[in-house]
Amino acid sequence: MSFTKSPEDNNPVKIPGQTVNFIIAIVGGLLGIVAFFLPWIGFSSGGGLLGSLSGLKIGAGPVVALSKGAVIFRGTPTSYLVPIAGMVTLLVVFLAYRRKIIVEKDGFWLIALGALPLLVLLGQFGEAQRDAAKVGVDIHYLSGLIATFLALLLIILSGTLTTAALARQKPSFRNTLGAYGFMSPTSLLVIIFFLIPVVLLFILSLTNLSSANFGDPWTFIGLGNYRRMFSDKFFPKILRNTVFYVVMTLAFFNVGLALALALLTSHINRRSSFFFRLIWLLPRITPSVVYIVMWKRFTQVPPYGIINQFLGWAGIQHQPYWLNETPWLFVILVNGFVGASFGMIIFTSAIEAIPKDFIIAAKVDGASSWQIIKDITLPLLRWPLLFVTTYQTLSLLVSFEYILLLTEGGPGLFTTEVWSLTAYKRALFTYFGSNQWAYGAAWGFVLVVIGAILSFIYLRVFRFDDLVQEPKIDVL
Amino acid sequence: MKVALDNLTKKWGTVVGADSITLNINDGEFIAFLGPSGCGKTTTLLMVAGIYKPTAGYIRFDDYMVNHMAPKDRNIGMVFQSYALYPHMDVFKNISYPLKLKKIPAKELKERTRKIADMMGIGHLLDRKPAQLSGGQQQRVALGRALVKEPGLLLFDEPLSNLDARLRLSMRSEIKRLQLELGITSIYVTHDQVEAMTMADRVAVIQSGRLQAFAPPDELYDRPQTLFIAGFVGNPPMNFITVDILHENGLFSARAPGLTMPLSAGHTDKVAEKGRVIMGIRPEDITIANEGAAGEVYIVEPLGRDDLIDVKIGDLHVHVLADPEMSLKMGDTVNLQFNANKVQFFDPETERSLLW
Repeated sequence: MSFTKSPEDNNPVKIPGQTVNFIIAIVGGLLGIVAFFLPWIGFSSGGGLLGSLSGLKIGAGPVVALSKGAVIFRGTPTSYLVPIAGMVTLLVVFLAYRRKIIVEKDGFWLIALGALPLLVLLGQFGEAQRDAAKVGVDIHYLSGLIATFLALLLIILSGTLTTAALARQKPSFRNTLGAYGFMSPTSLLVIIFFLIPVVLLFILSLTNLSSANFGDPWTFIGLGNYRRMFSDKFFPKILRNTVFYVVMTLAFFNVGLALALALLTSHINRRSSFFFRLIWLLPRITPSVVYIVMWKRFTQVPPYGIINQFLGWAGIQHQPYWLNETPWLFVILVNGFVGASFGMIIFTSAIEAIPKDFIIAAKVDGASSWQIIKDITLPLLRWPLLFVTTYQTLSLLVSFEYILLLTEGGPGLFTTEVWSLTAYKRALFTYFGSNQWAYGAAWGFVLVVIGAILSFIYLRVFRFDDLVQEPKIDVL
Repeated sequence: MKVALDNLTKKWGTVVGADSITLNINDGEFIAFLGPSGCGKTTTLLMVAGIYKPTAGYIRFDDYMVNHMAPKDRNIGMVFQSYALYPHMDVFKNISYPLKLKKIPAKELKERTRKIADMMGIGHLLDRKPAQLSGGQQQRVALGRALVKEPGLLLFDEPLSNLDARLRLSMRSEIKRLQLELGITSIYVTHDQVEAMTMADRVAVIQSGRLQAFAPPDELYDRPQTLFIAGFVGNPPMNFITVDILHENGLFSARAPGLTMPLSAGHTDKVAEKGRVIMGIRPEDITIANEGAAGEVYIVEPLGRDDLIDVKIGDLHVHVLADPEMSLKMGDTVNLQFNANKVQFFDPETERSLLW
């Protein structure tokens, strides 16, 4: 953490919005500390939030107040990170309050400081519960968990807000109310339909909830589901499948073919290019089941399959059910044909938006068509390329409906089974017995985390910030 | 490099961009294509650049027909109104791009790029992106990029239109000087007659895709061949008055309601029998005197060195340049004297000059 001292040491610099941040930081820091001591003072369970959850019969059962919860945390040094983070945040924000001694880039460290103990803490619940079981105590520490969550959120928030305010100096919290106001509808949607479900998914993944024990209160089993997932015999296979599926479809179709189509159609006359693009949109607008049935027929054995029909005419005797023969080829083709049109449309509009003068200038400068594409068009497509790659990676990661309809992850065991399909099958497929909701949730949650990490990497690699234009309107 | 356009024509269906334009440009000459927006001057330029394919006619570089030659093989440099600097490349890469395409060795490429950049006075900006430069600096980079490969022909497509008035003046003289020093044949497209007049050795006036005239600036100014040229060249523009040529007592005169002007001897036989013609006279060739056509001051526009006076004679408005010290005001009565030696006469039917 790099602290820089301002020259006027004894002259506190007024940081806009600092009072609000200061209060948030204090509350956050205190909550962090309180959350840590909750088990000792008998609040390890109980509380309105949990009560309302149990009302939903998710399995919380009767809420029991328990003072012996102290067992949970005692003796695990890492758990001290929570109050330490709280206190350090308090200190930092307090110093920032007195004089301007933290700079913008410290924001990262503040956030890391808040996030680190969270990760450590999560690792401990399973063990804590096992320990508690040993001494014959039935514990519910969800309220402690929620309080800790809340505290960490507040710590992170205060750090971010303080550093943001320091970085910009000008717009105070009050002045940015308008901006927050405009952002709130979208933010609300994201919170309700993404953040909260993810949190619920995560909580669910820490339990043993399944259709077999639906009637009972749920039991937290810590990271048991995750342990089970990572030690699954087919886990490496599924991981390989997912990477293969996403990379291949993305490279050859969703970005590769899309780019090729966009480049081709923007170099031919308008009417034919329109027609061409329309054809490539067909797979997307065909209902999935119809589309898949079509493909299945395509690959059928004689006398049904069209491919084999042609092979027959060509005098080739090898006429198998191609879907079983080369399942991956068809999984990628089926998804790629649907996916290509999206990138094609984005890339086409981006190519058409490139000013004609650039192309003329490049021609006059002596560039061939290929050199124009390589040196001018593609670099100017960086933003749409980033967008399509990111968006399509994420949508491919979670898309499984075509695979489900086409191969059901087969033929055979896990041949074309991808991560999201596994999550779906574990949670909601009754083929192999029970719906293991909690176990499926674990698969799902890891997928969410992977997606988040990937987006972060993409944004960093493509330097997203550089691509966004500064607003032309001054913020008053 | 000599450039010859031979009946050069460009059509899109029934829309005519350029209509059999024929002109010869000498080696090292600075030519301007002058005309209003949409007249076909840029179309012609882009045909010379090889971006558009001519519908008919020929383009010759040094007697070599280049109609089917790709732009990259024509050895031309081009400067755009929009600058067209590649936004993702810094200044160095922008300027050196033509050299890179020519596969010039790295060392020579560096030297030549630096030399050009220093020549353009942007040597200290080489690592900037175009977006970080001012308009004038961007235009210098664009010039540098056009010049770096030592082209045989330079094409300018309204390069100064996006600059502010002051910068335009200085860039104007800089480009002219540069062209003189380097001696590169140049074609300069503009709708600004001042730019064309001040910079070019010869000006090609284009209207509706047709070449109206191709002549040195002073000739265009003094001896306009068509009504269009007379009206387009010169600022403030020429006055046009429909007059009747009268023959009384052996003297010829031009007469319109409210004004009579005796014809000069040199003009008499060319317009004598025409009856009704269009007379053109520039504001600076009319003087306010004690006698002459009487009119009323309608509007006074101070231009600094002169006042531009709109004088109303009957229904007729005549623009006159006057000395500001006369301090004319709206409603004043004035008498106008026409310099009979400087007037132009045009056939109202063909709009061609009766004099030249």
